[in-house]
Amino acid sequence: MHKIWSFHGGVHPNENKSQSNQLPIVVMPTPKQLVLPLSQHIGKAAKAVVEPGDYVLKGQLIASAQGFVSANIHAPSSGYVSALAERTLPHQSALSGPCIIIDTDGKDQWVELNPTTNPESLSKSELLNLIHAAGITGMGGASFPSAVKLQLKSDIHTLIINAAECEPYITADDRLMREYADQIIVGIQLLQQLLGQPRCLIGIEDNKPEAITALNLALSHNIGQQTAQHTNIEVCVIPTKYPSGGEKQLVEILTGHQVPHGGIPANIGIVCQNVGTAKAIFDAIIKGQPLIKRITTVTGKAAANAGNYQVLIGTQVEDLLAFAKVDLTRTSRLVMGGPMMGFTIQDTQTPLVKGSNCILAAADLELASVADHHACIRCGQCEVACPADLLPQQLFWFAKAEEFEKAQDHNLSDCIECGACAWVCPSQIPLVQYYRYAKGRVKSINSEAHLAELARMRFETREQRLADEKSAKEEKRKIRAVAAAAVQAAKRAANPTAEDPIAAALARVSKQKQEQQTAAAPKSSEEVYKELKTAAAITRTKLKKTSTALANAKAKDHEQEASLQQTVDQLTVKAEAAQAELKAYEAKLGLDPEKEKILLVAVAKTNAAIRKLEKTLATAEDSQALGEDITEAKAAHQIATQALADHQAKPAPAQES
Amino acid sequence: MALVNLSSPHHHNLSKTSRLMMWVLLATLPGLAAQSYFYGYGTLINLIWASGLALGFEALVLRLRNRPIAPYLTDGSALVTAFLLALALPPFSPWWLTLVAVLFSIVFAKHLYGGLGNNPFNPAMVGYALCLIAFPVSMTQWAGTEATLTFGQQLHWFWLESVTGGIDAWTRATPLDLMRHPKGLTLNELASSNPQLGLGLTASMWVNLAYLLGGLALLAKRVFTWHAPVAMLASLGFFAGLFHMGEPDLYPSASQHLLTGATMLAAFFIVTDPVTSATSRKGKLVFGAGVGLLVFIIRSFGNYPDAFAFAILLMNLSAPLIDTYTQPKAYGHRPKRSDSQGDKR
Repeated sequence: MHKIWSFHGGVHPNENKSQSNQLPIVVMPTPKQLVLPLSQHIGKAAKAVVEPGDYVLKGQLIASAQGFVSANIHAPSSGYVSALAERTLPHQSALSGPCIIIDTDGKDQWVELNPTTNPESLSKSELLNLIHAAGITGMGGASFPSAVKLQLKSDIHTLIINAAECEPYITADDRLMREYADQIIVGIQLLQQLLGQPRCLIGIEDNKPEAITALNLALSHNIGQQTAQHTNIEVCVIPTKYPSGGEKQLVEILTGHQVPHGGIPANIGIVCQNVGTAKAIFDAIIKGQPLIKRITTVTGKAAANAGNYQVLIGTQVEDLLAFAKVDLTRTSRLVMGGPMMGFTIQDTQTPLVKGSNCILAAADLELASVADHHACIRCGQCEVACPADLLPQQLFWFAKAEEFEKAQDHNLSDCIECGACAWVCPSQIPLVQYYRYAKGRVKSINSEAHLAELARMRFETREQRLADEKSAKEEKRKIRAVAAAAVQAAKRAANPTAEDPIAAALARVSKQKQEQQTAAAPKSSEEVYKELKTAAAITRTKLKKTSTALANAKAKDHEQEASLQQTVDQLTVKAEAAQAELKAYEAKLGLDPEKEKILLVAVAKTNAAIRKLEKTLATAEDSQALGEDITEAKAAHQIATQALADHQAKPAPAQES
Repeated sequence: MALVNLSSPHHHNLSKTSRLMMWVLLATLPGLAAQSYFYGYGTLINLIWASGLALGFEALVLRLRNRPIAPYLTDGSALVTAFLLALALPPFSPWWLTLVAVLFSIVFAKHLYGGLGNNPFNPAMVGYALCLIAFPVSMTQWAGTEATLTFGQQLHWFWLESVTGGIDAWTRATPLDLMRHPKGLTLNELASSNPQLGLGLTASMWVNLAYLLGGLALLAKRVFTWHAPVAMLASLGFFAGLFHMGEPDLYPSASQHLLTGATMLAAFFIVTDPVTSATSRKGKLVFGAGVGLLVFIIRSFGNYPDAFAFAILLMNLSAPLIDTYTQPKAYGHRPKRSDSQGDKR
């Protein structure tokens, strides 16, 4: 016997399994319509590869996996694709999502299948591809794509088959094991082959003696056929305790090891698969059939024919309920999944998907009613029950007070939402709801923080880029200046007798100007004035430019520094001379730019005053007084205009004289 | 029928807070019986009076706080407070002493902090400590064991504070008091010179055993875990034993400590108050051990007849701190267990 460990906490709710596990599995006839959500597994939604109006055969691929974590979807029966439409999804939120809707034709005609005759010859990657192609996902309820879970880099020493079925009411796996034990064992052997022949431990609760017998019998058959070494499989009977079927809990029960926080069982060399998944793998590889059906328990006091049904994926809940003779008038609570972790549905047209293991049609008062909850007295019963060894009472207080950081410090993320705490709570507080709320808030806070961090990084990168561009420009400019100076130096070195080119050019320009001046005489005084102004401005600009060049040269400690200094000195003298000449001419003309500005302003001001007064006059009553004001203003304006004209006219007589 | 939308779990074990409280009340009965057998009707009268007062005050404050009265009144928490106070107060308590204690417990210690679940201090212990400080004389009038008052006499005392022969004829110092003030004698000399001590210790022992019985019943019913009471008794026993070994003439033995005063009442009915104690298993161990140590210190070196009220209030103060440092290792946070089974191949 394999040694069995235990896990902290756990509870013992009434099992309520005998209502549904007494009768053999009944195959439900093909319903008229099948609804197949594109997203019925963890990961990316599959992409539809059929169009409305297409005829599909049973087992034909109708939606293909997208990305790494995703799963194929196949037509569960033959018929026409009637629509690609939004339908209510089997989820607590009751949101709708895209679904492929197939109107079945009742022929149930299979697509051509490729069964494998000698599975021993298949390589690991071939097995993995077959499992992927068949669209197999975890059949225990979580619906994680199996091919992804089995695609491991690390060494696996133990394969755990989860046959615990610890949720009350559900008996789908129980019946499956009783009736298909041989196929399950073969499925397990295929898994072992895929994982490099690890040992296999089947964890099964002791409340399923018939299933345990069936598995052991199937194992002994198998050993008869093969070598004992080849069937390294052991059925491990574990005590009935909820939630021993939780993956992490089962790992601890069977190996004594805990899956590290934030990790997966593969981190400690373990892979967990549901017993239903092993059967689906058998179907996929040995029979070549993709995953298009499953066993679903229908139970609860409102179900006249409680039991297990083999249903096609995509069957709508109401069709199954009608087939199982569920009296919908007797129930106000339809639970999909078990009573501890399942969710309620309101839309009876919700489809059954790959992970739908149970429909619980509870009569009134069969399940705990929503009582008003009392104050938490920290009695600690939840802590005793918690299989994750958390402090549920503290988490509750933190969630209630919205102290999410503290909740995270108390390992909120390790809560598996099994509901054991709420089940024992004497104050009947809906604890799991508080934890879900807190988790949701933590998630949104984290994503907001992440977005803010991204924005900050973008901003900083941009700032850095701008600064880099600026400094690169500066660098380029400096290099150009140095290069130019070098060229100059080279030229001078080549022709040492030549005079400084800048000075020569300047001399040429001034000579030209002088010639112009003498040639174009007589010029009007206004023209002369303008020329002088331009000349002064040009010399100033040149001076400035040369000074900058000098500064650069100084900074670079360049040899040309001396000659530039010389030029600057020359230019300074020239600029001063030009300015002086301009000033002198202005004096000669009697020009006074400052005075002219003042006069211009005065004219404009008086003009504005007149306008304003006239405007007021148009609307005002005391027109006479205003009229006088206007006359006065007009006079002032006249004077100002005259003064300006006089000032501007002055140069003329000066030139004439 | 319209289908409801509810969050999981859809199942419940149908336990109720009121049922927990009821079990606590029932578990005090052996102790109550023993106390009444040895010390007369005082405790019983006290209990009835305190219960009525507690329910009255609770209803009054709930009304003032605009809370629904019926659900809170029936949760039994006020009755538990009343019971604990009545059992802890001396049998010779006059009506007003109990009234002050209950008023302070329910109104101040419990509701002014937000009511059930939100009070940082054990309400009964707050009421008890207040009376101990304010009315030290009344609080030390413990009944003698050799002769008890009739019910009528006791009631007369209760209302009018007069009794035939005067109160001194009926009250005695508790064994703890006698042992703390041995008047220069060793404990053995004290026992032989004062027969009161032996009688008192015997009565006290039976009362404590009765509370132990009730406590074990609660433990069996899983009303609380073993951690806090066991830690408290172990810590008190350890320190008492240690000092007794060193100075047997001065310090009473561990068994005397464990079976006198309010030791068992405190261990199983007060230290286990979930609201005001530490919350994790490890925390409860620390909490209980702290109470045990403080009880020993205050009993041995303090000035009060018994030490529980102060020891517990002091540990109530430290409960949040204890909680911070005694968080259990959640699943997956433990360092990997060494592989004794050769699990890996």
